[in-house]
Amino acid sequence: MDIIIYGIINSVSLALMAVGFTLVYGVSRLPNFAHGALYVLTGYLTWLLMYRLGLNYFLAALLALALTGLIGAAMYQLVLIRVRGMPISEIIASYAIGLAILEGLRWGGLKGGTFRLPPFIEGSVLIFGVSVDFQRIFVVVLGSALMGGLWLFVNNTKLGLALKGMAQDERAALTLGIDSDRMAVVATAIGSMLAGAAAIILLPLGSIVVESGYHVLIMAVAVCIVGGLGSWTGAVFAAFIIGFAQIITVVFLGAHFQVVVALLAIVVTLVSRPSGLFGRQKELEERV
Amino acid sequence: MFEAEGLMVFYENMLALNNVSLKCEETQIVGIFGANSAGKSTLMYTLSGIILDIRKKEEMAGGERITIRGRVQFNGRDIISDKPSSRARAGIILCPERRRIFPESTVLENLRIGGYLATSSQARETLDYVMTIFPPLKRILKRLGGFLSGGEQQMLAIGRALMAQPKLLLLDEPLLGLSPAIQYLLAKSIKEIRDQRGMSIIVAEQYARPIIPIIDYGYILENGAAVVDGGRQELMDNPDVKSAYFGT
Repeated sequence: MDIIIYGIINSVSLALMAVGFTLVYGVSRLPNFAHGALYVLTGYLTWLLMYRLGLNYFLAALLALALTGLIGAAMYQLVLIRVRGMPISEIIASYAIGLAILEGLRWGGLKGGTFRLPPFIEGSVLIFGVSVDFQRIFVVVLGSALMGGLWLFVNNTKLGLALKGMAQDERAALTLGIDSDRMAVVATAIGSMLAGAAAIILLPLGSIVVESGYHVLIMAVAVCIVGGLGSWTGAVFAAFIIGFAQIITVVFLGAHFQVVVALLAIVVTLVSRPSGLFGRQKELEERV
Repeated sequence: MFEAEGLMVFYENMLALNNVSLKCEETQIVGIFGANSAGKSTLMYTLSGIILDIRKKEEMAGGERITIRGRVQFNGRDIISDKPSSRARAGIILCPERRRIFPESTVLENLRIGGYLATSSQARETLDYVMTIFPPLKRILKRLGGFLSGGEQQMLAIGRALMAQPKLLLLDEPLLGLSPAIQYLLAKSIKEIRDQRGMSIIVAEQYARPIIPIIDYGYILENGAAVVDGGRQELMDNPDVKSAYFGT
């Protein structure tokens, strides 16, 4: 029972970490390696707004999210737009921005385990005999709601459909009046906000540390590669596979093997199915 | 209403379009005929502005240098430096070569993405219209774009372009890879669309035979230059055109 409950919690957390990354990649073929940095940044901004400016939790979180979205859009508009279409440069540039943010935060004093966000509600409940704290329930509920909301947005709004069209064929989208540069900015902003939303939901479980930026990036990349780069359904499935595999290793092998599972998943996927679980279309193209 | 003047496009030093001028009046169908590599697609990309995007991408990747010269007037305004999205907003919609259907979206979703520029009532009305002009699409609304036959894909591509509320519809090789029967059917539909929706249409095609009967005016493109132009009958009577395009 532990495995199932904590497996679900872990899987939803992974999906949360990865969904922003896969959205940006899917729409603009831009691997946003600053993803983890934006995650930590949102957490830190929320903390600052709460404890330095004395805003209430909800307001601080919303403001931090909005700021992160703006930073993501600015990052694209000022830097990444210049290297678009050159995958290696995109990775280097976005990773450099991520490093600058993360190490800048460390230099600015984000050290140790003293920076914490409080859980939304204290306490825990028993579910089928397993003790689960409320924050982890929030992770599952809010995580699912967020992804459900994203699904509705992508399939039912003009903007969402435009993003979907651009993800599939940029030139065809252009002929229909969809401005690809603007869509890429929008996608990066939404992706950054999703990283931020993940941070706000997940960070109360631990403390805000710079290292989690790198951890989140690795997890997001692992989930996206296993699921098939740019495939949104694939990312959710992959999150569940890796999420459960991690919990199973924790139970039977030990907690420090968790990251190994994710990295191993990348290797196994790249060796056996290079285009990922849901990259069938691309697999065909690779053969042709 | 729509007029291109002295269009020149270079890929590095290669001349792809050589001083092409053409005109399309309101509710006219204009045909552009030419063999492969005559410059039809470059012309369509230049008229729709996609060439600017191609040029930008090439520039960023350090690829071919593309140079564009000339003027494109739409309703009295020069739009040669307008982005493709603002040209689309003005009503110039390209239905691109090889259709470029969104393969992972259903037929319905392809059409809905096409309605990006339409208001919701326009989108609803146009969707109904697309179903009446291309009834075969009605049965396959839920099928993925990647699994359609060539004819279905072309109907969907035209339908998707209609969803964007064009005033000037640019069709780039709509008959490519289709059987003669479907070619004639599509040509008929193109004429119907013009008659019923009152838009201007420019068709670029190598198969002149099914298209010539529906055009008001036509141009023959050879090696990037418009070598012959004239009305429907004029083109049909021209001995050079006859031998090259009708095999008689």
